[in-house]
Amino acid sequence: MTILSSYLTLAAVLFCVGLYGVLTKRNAIIVLLSVELMLNAVNLNLIAFSKYGVNPSLAGQIFTLFTITVAAAEAAVGVAILVVLYRSRATVNVDEFDELRR
Amino acid sequence: MFNFNIEFTGEFVAFFLLAVCAIVGAVLAINFTKVVHMALSLAFTFISLAGLYVLLGAEFVAFVQVLLYVGAITILMIFGIMMTKHDGEGQEPARPLLETLAAIGCLCLFGILFYGIRSAEFPAEAASLPADNTLEIGKLLFTQYAIPFELVSVLLTVAFIGAVALAKREEDPQ
Amino acid sequence: MSTFFAEYAWLVPLFPLIAFAILTATGRGAKRAGAWIGTAATFLSLVLSICIAVERLSGTSTDYIRQIDWLQVGEMTLTAGFEVTNLTSLMLVVVTLVSFLVNLYSQGYMREDDRISTFFAYVALFTSSMLGLVLSDNLLTFYIFWELVGVCSFLLVGFWYQKPEAKAAAKKAFIVTRIGDLGLFIALLLLFWYMPGNALDFSSIHNVFGTQGGVIATGITTLIALLIFVGAVGKSGQFPLHVWLPDAMEGPTPISALIHAATMVAAGVFLVARTFPVFEASPAAMTTVAIVGAFTAIFAATIGIAQNDIKRILAYSTISQLGYMMLALGVGSVTAAMFHLFTHAFFKALLFLGAGSVIHSVHTQDIREMGGLGSRMKITAWTFGIGALALSGIPPFAGFWSKDAVLTEALNKSPILFIVGVVAAFFTALYMARLYFLVFAGKPRQDGHAHESPPVMTIPLIVLAVLSLFAGFVETPFNGWFGEWLTGETADHHGSGLVMVVSVAVGLLGVYLGWLIYVKGTISRDIVSSRMPGLVMVLERKYYIDELYHLIFVKPLYAAGKLLEAFDEYVVDGAVRLTGRAANALGRLNTRLQNGQVQSYALTALIGIVILLLAIAGRRFW
Repeated sequence: MTILSSYLTLAAVLFCVGLYGVLTKRNAIIVLLSVELMLNAVNLNLIAFSKYGVNPSLAGQIFTLFTITVAAAEAAVGVAILVVLYRSRATVNVDEFDELRR
Repeated sequence: MFNFNIEFTGEFVAFFLLAVCAIVGAVLAINFTKVVHMALSLAFTFISLAGLYVLLGAEFVAFVQVLLYVGAITILMIFGIMMTKHDGEGQEPARPLLETLAAIGCLCLFGILFYGIRSAEFPAEAASLPADNTLEIGKLLFTQYAIPFELVSVLLTVAFIGAVALAKREEDPQ
Repeated sequence: MSTFFAEYAWLVPLFPLIAFAILTATGRGAKRAGAWIGTAATFLSLVLSICIAVERLSGTSTDYIRQIDWLQVGEMTLTAGFEVTNLTSLMLVVVTLVSFLVNLYSQGYMREDDRISTFFAYVALFTSSMLGLVLSDNLLTFYIFWELVGVCSFLLVGFWYQKPEAKAAAKKAFIVTRIGDLGLFIALLLLFWYMPGNALDFSSIHNVFGTQGGVIATGITTLIALLIFVGAVGKSGQFPLHVWLPDAMEGPTPISALIHAATMVAAGVFLVARTFPVFEASPAAMTTVAIVGAFTAIFAATIGIAQNDIKRILAYSTISQLGYMMLALGVGSVTAAMFHLFTHAFFKALLFLGAGSVIHSVHTQDIREMGGLGSRMKITAWTFGIGALALSGIPPFAGFWSKDAVLTEALNKSPILFIVGVVAAFFTALYMARLYFLVFAGKPRQDGHAHESPPVMTIPLIVLAVLSLFAGFVETPFNGWFGEWLTGETADHHGSGLVMVVSVAVGLLGVYLGWLIYVKGTISRDIVSSRMPGLVMVLERKYYIDELYHLIFVKPLYAAGKLLEAFDEYVVDGAVRLTGRAANALGRLNTRLQNGQVQSYALTALIGIVILLLAIAGRRFW
């Protein structure tokens, strides 16, 4: 068991926990946070690969930076949308939004 | 096939502790009932991850992680929590089918990933990355990755402007 | 020696067929015109038939046959064609004449019916089928027309399908005759199998069974003959399969006349006469025919005494008279059978049309509610009387001569058959006297609004009465012209004085007894029913044949039907419903999936990915 496998396993655990949170949590903000957790798991993978991968290079870290940036943008827009939704529906429970059915 | 004969180097001990912290933070975040607690325990996970980044020799990314995730995103979420009401927590009807299926799906996925990780072959040796990696990242960002970098900054700007525009309270006609 | 008209014999069935086509095409719009079209078509057929008959009478002895190849399958060729012989020309005249008169009569009888043109269309098809049957030169086309006749009888008996009895009677007529048809069909197949060259035409059958002989084994011959006879039994209402005939009285009365006199029931007798060489080749079959005929004659005659429905009495008398014809065939005399068929056609049509006239006038069929109609319906009464006397076998009416011929033949063969025939003749005279006196004599038992029928109905009666009076003279013990013409053989005249005396005696005795009971009242009407109520009951219930059949055949079949219905309901339909429900349930499941919840969608996607990954990963292991 190399050290890389340990990092990857940890990332997989975090990813699955985040995924479970996305799938089961009602509160939209927690869902967003779970998404962030999943993204972080991916970031961990990227950085681990940038050191222990087949072609180690700084590209992994740079990619992580971009991911973090995009995650920040996503979080900002997500929270903004949530606030607007809350204003119109007075709730942030995901299971009360079923607009996709209409 | 599982050979756990890893020598207890300092790096491994550090990794082990940080990993436990990250997983505990994530699991707690899932299990808490209060939203603020969840957000805070996730922040804990993020800090643990930043520690892992340092361990992996990516100090700059670790700083960015702390700044952005712990400093910006978590705080943003907490603001979001504060701006919305969360009275109905705790007495929500359970969704056993959904939760069971989600748990099974996640476990299966983890199993597959774990199987993939175990059966993949990686080079045993760690590469020697430049020690001053912040400098190197800076060079790369402004040379090789200049265009993606600019695009990402545009994206970030647009996103923030959009977020402000969305969240701004509608002007009262009167 | 010309065959000028015979060559056009195929037109005879064609005229009514065209009428049928026209009437069907115009539908109910035709109304009165439809009736005239049907009548005119049968009239044309009648004229042509008479021309053919006259041509035959003027001495053509060779039969005219024309065939065309119909189907060619490999080595085999099925032909279709028509054949004009003395026998067929006689039948043509009888059928077209009765049919024409019935058409004419129906103009009056069915005047107020909404579906009058439909009625005439059916009658035209019926006539056409019967004429086609008569003209057929081979057994296959014969069988086709035979079935058509069955279909038409179904349509006509059930013409007033609003009445449940009529519906039931139509079904009964169809189903019961089908039993016989099945026998005929098997006989047809056997003949096809065993006949040299697969020939089915009547002349080949005559040659193989008649003149050559011994080509086909005796056992098979008997089997074929018996199966053909089963077909005749079904169609002609002989003993085991007679039950449909009285029920067929639910149809309009002119139809009863048509069925009973000229078309349907005559087909059975005609079939046996036509395939007579087959029967002659098998003594066992002949005996069977004779016994069944004799038994039916007496059996139906006894039932006739106890019935109260005017048409049912006549129906049983038809069965009885057909029994005589079968008896004649069974003792080997086609001449006597056809002669009786010929005269019976006239007087039975007369009786039925007369009964129709009575029913039309008093609106009931129960003879106990009639009475004293003789004074108000003079023509009907007189003509009906002639028909009744003819049926009772009183000289000089037609029935006397033909029945006499049958009885003479029976006596030559077996005294027992003769005695049975004579007893049946006595009962015939008795029930006809009862019928006539109850209906026409005595005092009215009903508030009188009875009136004579319109001329369009009485003219056929008169024509038929004249024929019933004189038709018998074509063949008397002193003059065998008819038989010679029909069979082409010079018959030896064995006119027996004994037979004549006996048959006249029992006829007169029957009538006298009827007169004593129902007019004079010298003998109480209840004398039999008070002494032997059981006997009367049995007769009224027609020997419980219907009940017996119901118990033996109908109920088990019904139970089997129920069983199959349950099978259909729960197994077949169940499978169908299961399919539907499964699709429905799947749809409901999918509806639940389509709930608008993002998380469910994501979960579905996750499960899908897991399955995909498992599938891909699983490929490693095999």
